[in-house]
Amino acid sequence: MSPKLLLLLFLRRWHARIGFAAVVFFLFLAVTGFVLNHTADLGLNTKYVHAAWLARWYGLMPELPRQAFRSGGHDLIAANGRWLLDGRISGEKLPQPVGLVDLPGMVVVASSTSLYIYGKDGALIDRLESNALPEVPVQAIGAGAQRLVLRTASGLFESSDALSWKPSPRGATAWSAPAELSPAEREKYAGLLDAGISVQQLLLDLHSGRFAGRYGPLAVDLLAVLLTVLSLSGAWLFLKPRHRRWERH
Amino acid sequence: MSSRTRRSLALFTLMLGAASGYARGEVYQEPDTFIAEVFGSKPAPKVLWLTKDTQAQVGAILGHAPAQLRQRYWSEGGKSVWILEETGKEELITAGFVVVDGRIDHVRVLVYRESRGQEVRQSSFLKQFKDAKLVRDNRLDRDVDGIVGATLSVGAMERMARLALFFERLSHDNPAG
Repeated sequence: MSPKLLLLLFLRRWHARIGFAAVVFFLFLAVTGFVLNHTADLGLNTKYVHAAWLARWYGLMPELPRQAFRSGGHDLIAANGRWLLDGRISGEKLPQPVGLVDLPGMVVVASSTSLYIYGKDGALIDRLESNALPEVPVQAIGAGAQRLVLRTASGLFESSDALSWKPSPRGATAWSAPAELSPAEREKYAGLLDAGISVQQLLLDLHSGRFAGRYGPLAVDLLAVLLTVLSLSGAWLFLKPRHRRWERH
Repeated sequence: MSSRTRRSLALFTLMLGAASGYARGEVYQEPDTFIAEVFGSKPAPKVLWLTKDTQAQVGAILGHAPAQLRQRYWSEGGKSVWILEETGKEELITAGFVVVDGRIDHVRVLVYRESRGQEVRQSSFLKQFKDAKLVRDNRLDRDVDGIVGATLSVGAMERMARLALFFERLSHDNPAG
């Protein structure tokens, strides 16, 4: 048997073996790559995965809910950038709340630099950032004479609509204060407020191999080498017989 | 997974978080400054409440339900300013739209939080919106040229432009104070 034929047989055999061995990984890379390219179309760009094991895998130290804010039948528990307002998750990457106030027609949650105004049904009415507030940081919020009152370093400000603000006279204001959760409540809420990993990041880590830790990217590098070998051997197997036929003619 | 590896992954995650946090600080112009620049000083805000019907129309423009039910805006002398936010790829883009007589007068990207696609803040891109108005189905009367590598941010800017014009029209139908 000629050396060229031997080489051809060797390539064919190894092309098939490598292709078969890597098929699962290549499919995995193809699928994660495809989804990564279409995260927005698939509505995955704003989605998060919440699982205690995943947070542990990422080495994130979950924050346990310790306190609740309560006002007029509404309650708010926060941990890991998530809020549980009246038993309903309000979103991701939310700031640490400093208080909750129940007012006619709205429920207001304050962080040090923003106000979140919810309807009684929990729908977000408006989000006011620092530029819409009389001053930040907000130290506390409260209610006085059916008005929202903010306490800041330079004094008290009040508003009836969370749009226009005026200095508030020092009067009877019921300030929102956190209440400690019992151990049973902490346990109950911890599961609902698990730290989240964005789907986008998770896909990226899976695709790059980083999810598997230190050696994951090296494994993906190896797959890239295998893919290169497959491409070159495939090209060789495709072209060689044609080249031989061309030589004969 | 070893603790060292886990630390690396956590660090990487935190770095990404920090990167997005840093991007959050990428404020090209404070919304207040933008409003004051348009009117000379900042007028009192007005509000537009989104009814169920309006929410459906906003949903059709954005491709998702509106994030909030009350939209603040500023208007004076036939000119209105709309500060809107929309997700590009993963993070919100904040842009200011000045609308006069149902046409966009000018647009500015105020805060950009994505790690890529900042080109949408360039005037060469934004000038495409000059004098744009709404036509049938709340669409713009023109095609907006995209930017390679910033497709999603371009899409977000276009949606916000449509929304600003839609809100402006609505504010005439339902004047609020």
